[in-house]
Amino acid sequence: MKKFFREYYDTFLREGRMVKGDIGILIFFILLPLAYPIVYSLIYNPELVRDVKMVVVDHDRTPLSRELTRRLDATEGIRLIGYASDLSEARRAIDSHKAYGILEIPEGFARRAGRLEQANAVMYCEMSLLLRYRAILVGATDVMQDLGATLTTERIDEIAPLAETITAGADLMPIHNVTMGNLESGFDSFIMPGILILILQQSLVLAVGMCGGASREHPFRSCYAPFGATRPIIASILARTTLFLMIALIPTLYIIHYVPLMFRFPMAGNIFEEILFILPMMLSSIMLGMIFQGVVRERESVFLLWVVTSVIFLFLSGLTWPRYAFRAPWLFLSDCVPATWGVEGFIRMNTNGASLSQVGESYRNLWILTGVYAIGAYVVQRFVQYPAVRRHAGQSVSASC
Amino acid sequence: MSPFCEIFKRSVLQLVRRPVYWVAMFLLPLFVFLFLSSLMAEGLPQKAPAGVIDNDGSPLSRKITQNLNGMQMVDITAMPESFTEARHMMQEGKIYGFFLIPHDFEADLLAGRSPEISFYTNMTYFVPASLLFKTFKTTALFAKAGVASEVISSVGFTQNPSPLLQPVNIVTRPISNPELNYAIYLCVSFLPATLQLMIILVTCFSLGQEIKYHASRRLLEMARGSIVRAIYAKLLPQTLIWTVIVIFMESWLFRWQGYPMHGSWWWLTLSEILFVLASQGFGLICFGIFPNLRLSLSMGALIGILSFSVAAFSFPVESMYPAIGIFSWVVPIRYNYLIYVDQALNGIDIYYSRYWFAVYFIFIVLPFALMPRLKRAFAQQAYVP
Repeated sequence: MKKFFREYYDTFLREGRMVKGDIGILIFFILLPLAYPIVYSLIYNPELVRDVKMVVVDHDRTPLSRELTRRLDATEGIRLIGYASDLSEARRAIDSHKAYGILEIPEGFARRAGRLEQANAVMYCEMSLLLRYRAILVGATDVMQDLGATLTTERIDEIAPLAETITAGADLMPIHNVTMGNLESGFDSFIMPGILILILQQSLVLAVGMCGGASREHPFRSCYAPFGATRPIIASILARTTLFLMIALIPTLYIIHYVPLMFRFPMAGNIFEEILFILPMMLSSIMLGMIFQGVVRERESVFLLWVVTSVIFLFLSGLTWPRYAFRAPWLFLSDCVPATWGVEGFIRMNTNGASLSQVGESYRNLWILTGVYAIGAYVVQRFVQYPAVRRHAGQSVSASC
Repeated sequence: MSPFCEIFKRSVLQLVRRPVYWVAMFLLPLFVFLFLSSLMAEGLPQKAPAGVIDNDGSPLSRKITQNLNGMQMVDITAMPESFTEARHMMQEGKIYGFFLIPHDFEADLLAGRSPEISFYTNMTYFVPASLLFKTFKTTALFAKAGVASEVISSVGFTQNPSPLLQPVNIVTRPISNPELNYAIYLCVSFLPATLQLMIILVTCFSLGQEIKYHASRRLLEMARGSIVRAIYAKLLPQTLIWTVIVIFMESWLFRWQGYPMHGSWWWLTLSEILFVLASQGFGLICFGIFPNLRLSLSMGALIGILSFSVAAFSFPVESMYPAIGIFSWVVPIRYNYLIYVDQALNGIDIYYSRYWFAVYFIFIVLPFALMPRLKRAFAQQAYVP
C-alpha cells in the first residue's frame, strides 16, 4: 500500500514537471481549448444567411409582377440586385458570381392571376451552398403565401360575398410553428455547443498522446521507473489522470460556461449538472489518450495521427447527420467515441434545458466507456508503453527520420 | 547518380520505412473517403422520429396523423398525452419535434371558430428539425386547403378551387442538385479539405524530421548546397503519391459516387493536381515561417482544421464578418471548392474560373521567397522541442 502511494506521488510530481516544461503539451492542454472556441464561434457568429443576391427577369412588367419583386426584396433572406433583360443575361450574373438566384416572371403573369388561374413564376437557385438555397426558399414561400392571401381575399369578395368564414377572421385554421432550443435557428448556436465538446475531447487526447511521445523521447524526465523496478502501474495511471484532470479543469469550465456566455448561445442547463455530466467525458478521453500513447512513437506524430480524426468525430457525433440515419457499423463506431455521448448530452442540457436524469442514457454510456477505456489503457501501458520507455531509456534516441 | 536522384531515393525510403507515413498518406485519407460517402449514402436522412399530441381524437385529427406518418421524412414514433410529456421526450432525445392538435379541433373547425394547429421543432439538431419543419408545414397546409376548398364549394363555387386558394405560385428550381442531396455538399468539400490538412501536416513533418534527427546538414550536402534542389527532391515522392490519391478521390466522387459533373474532366483534374502542389506550397510556407517541427505542425493543424469552416462550405463568406471572411481566401482548399462549383457542379466556361486557377500558382511560387530562411535553418539544424 505504501508503495502504491509512493508511486502515485512520484508520478504526479514527475509528470507534472514534464508537462510544465513542455510547451507543446501545454499548448494542447490550455491554449487550444482557450483559443479554438473563440475563433470558431467568430466564424459562424453572424448566425443567419441574409440578403442572398438575386436578379429578376420580368417578362410581364405589370403592377402585380413589380409587387411580387418588391415583396421578395423586402424579405430577410433575399436582396434583388437588378433586372436582366433575358435568362442568358441573368445566367451571366450567376456565372460571374454576382448573384445566386434568378426570378423569372413569365409574360401573362398578371393576366392569369386576373382570370382566376394560377399565376406561376420560377425561381432558379444556384446550389453551391444549402444555406443560401434555404434563405431563398423561405423568402419565396413567405411571399407566395402572403401575396396569395391578399389576392384570395380580394377575389372571394367578388365571387361570393357570403364566404365570410374565409376572409373575416382572416384565417380559417391558423398554423403556428415554434422552434425550440435554438430559438433563432442560428447556425452558430446550433453547431458550436457540440463543437465545444469535441474540442475538449480532442485537446485531452492530443495532450495525453503527446505526453506519451515525450516520455518515450525523454525517459528519464518522465514518470516511469526506467530500470526495471516493478512498480504499480495502476498508481501511475491514477496519478496521471488526476494531474490531467486538474490541468484541464479551468479550460473545461471556460468551454462549457464562459464561451456560451460570451457568444450568447442558448444556456438553459444547470451548470453544476453539466460539470457532473462532463466529468466522465473527460475521464474517458484521458483514458483514450493513454491508449493512443501506444502508437505515438514521438511527440510530433500525434499531429499526423490524431488531428484529422476531428472531422470523423464531428460526423460520428450525429451533430450534422443524425444518428438515427446511421448504418449499423457506423453507429457502433459512433457509440465508442466519448464525444458522441458528450455532445448529445451536453447540447440537450445546454440548449434544450434537459436535466442530468433526462440525459441518463448518455451519462451511463460515458461511464461505461470510461471503464472500458481504463482497462484498455492499463493493457497498453503495461505491455506497450512501459516496455517502450524502458527500451528508450537503455539506448539514446535513434535517428530514423 | 545525380544529387537529385539520390535525394529522391532517400526520400522514398524514408516514406516506406516509417509506418506513420503509411497511416497519414493512405490509411487515414482513404478511411475518411469511405466513411463520409458511406455515412451519407442516402443523400438526406429519412424518417426523423416525431410525435403527435392528439387532444381531439376525431376522425379529422386521426386523418392528419395518418397523413403525417405517410410522409417520407417523418416517422411518428410517439403519441404523447400532453405537451409536457412531449417536451420531456424531446429533451430526452426520443423525438425531434411534435405536432399539436387542440381539443375540439374538428368541431371548432366546422363551426368556423378558427382552431389553431401548432408544431414544435427542436432546432438544436439543424438537419432533422429543418426536414420536420418542412413536413409539418406541408401537412398543415394541405389540411387547411382541404377544409378551405370544402367551405368554398359549400358557398356555391363550382370551379377548381386551387387557383383561388393559391393564386400565385413560385416554383423553386434548384439547379444541378434537384433532389437537394446533402451528401454532395459535404463530400465534395470535406474530402479535399481532409487531403489539404494531411498534405500540409506531412510536408511540415517530413521536413521537420530532418532537423530533429540532425540529418538536414547531410541533406544539404547531398544537394550540393542547393536548398531548392534539396527541398524539391525531398518532396517530389510525396507529390507523386498525393497526385495519385487526389485523382482517386476525383474519380471516387464524380465517377463512382455519381456526384454532379457537368464540365470538363481535364480542367477538374488540372485543378486537383494544382491543388496538391498548392497545399504542399502552403505546408512549405508554414515550415518556412516557423522552421521548427512543433510550431510548423501546430500552425498547419490550426489552419488545416479551421479551413473546414473558414473556407465557407456551409456558411457563405459574404455572411461572415468581413475581418474573418477574408481568411477564406488564404487557404488553397477555397480555390479547389470554387473550381468544383464552377466546373463540376455548374459546368460553366473556364473563363469564369480563371482567377482561381491563377491563385494556385501564388501558393506554388511563394515558398521560393522563404528558401534562404529554410537554408539557414537546415544548416543550423537546431531542434527546439
